Amino acid sequence: MADLNDISLVTQVAVFHNKRAFDQLVRKYQSPVRRFFLNQTLGDEMLSDDLAQDTFIKAYVNITKFKGMSSFSTWLMRIAYNVFYDHVRASRPTEDIDTSKAVASKTASGSDSLKMDIYAALALLKPDERSCITMQLIDGYPIDQISKITGIPENTVKSHLKRGKEKMANYLKENGYDR
Amino acid sequence: MAMTDKDDILIADFFKQAAQQQIEDNGFTERVMQNLPEMKTNKVRCLSRLWTFFCVIVGLGLFFTFGGMQLMRVAMTGLLQMVLTALEVFVVTTPTTEIPVNPWLVLVVLAFVVIYLPYRTGRKLSSVL
Repeated sequence: MADLNDISLVTQVAVFHNKRAFDQLVRKYQSPVRRFFLNQTLGDEMLSDDLAQDTFIKAYVNITKFKGMSSFSTWLMRIAYNVFYDHVRASRPTEDIDTSKAVASKTASGSDSLKMDIYAALALLKPDERSCITMQLIDGYPIDQISKITGIPENTVKSHLKRGKEKMANYLKENGYDR
Repeated sequence: MAMTDKDDILIADFFKQAAQQQIEDNGFTERVMQNLPEMKTNKVRCLSRLWTFFCVIVGLGLFFTFGGMQLMRVAMTGLLQMVLTALEVFVVTTPTTEIPVNPWLVLVVLAFVVIYLPYRTGRKLSSVL
């Protein structure tokens, strides 16, 4: 039913350039898309919002390319993933500095400590591992959906998840979460 | 180090709160809507109008080239003859027919055909052009 509603809204945007319909889509999906970017950027809210905005603008411009083969949310997350990787490629030389800065700035602001621990734990992962881990454990996507979104073969997704979870488990044990 | 079920539970618990996190809109949608590009809409509308104009010109050209006026005149004369004949038959046979004709119904049907249909067609054409 939700998918049908999404397809109806997408059709209105694609055929009639109905901005109100697109407004509804943005309102519906802003939370998961922004959360995805927050997790990938380790809590950098400004950067996350910029990337999320880019994602929705790209979705609007390319809405006629949505063929309905997958759900709208999967298609949107695929755009989000590509936007993030374009950003990673563009800022690769300063990636390590940005990562530590993002986590450090959130620590300094004294926000929720568990959230901080999550970002610190995610910082230990490689970008692909982080994407797979957050998509499965936070966004709740199954492995085949993660594969569709990222374009990574399912077996590679499983490897990323396995390695990522091992690193997470070690981090949690070292920080006393198993007690 | 091999993963255990205990590790899986530990990790799932750790991410549980993050999975439930809902981010408030706080004006994000408005910012996105304000930054949407307008160009594509205008381009599509412009192309659509150009295409309509092109079709109208081609249609008029073909109409006059293949003697459309002559054909129209013949068709209109034939239609008029047909209507007049139908009316004549109706007038001649009405007094003898046993089917009751409601004059109000005839009026409504005539109003629909003569007023409403041309009005609807005109509105549709004006919205397209």
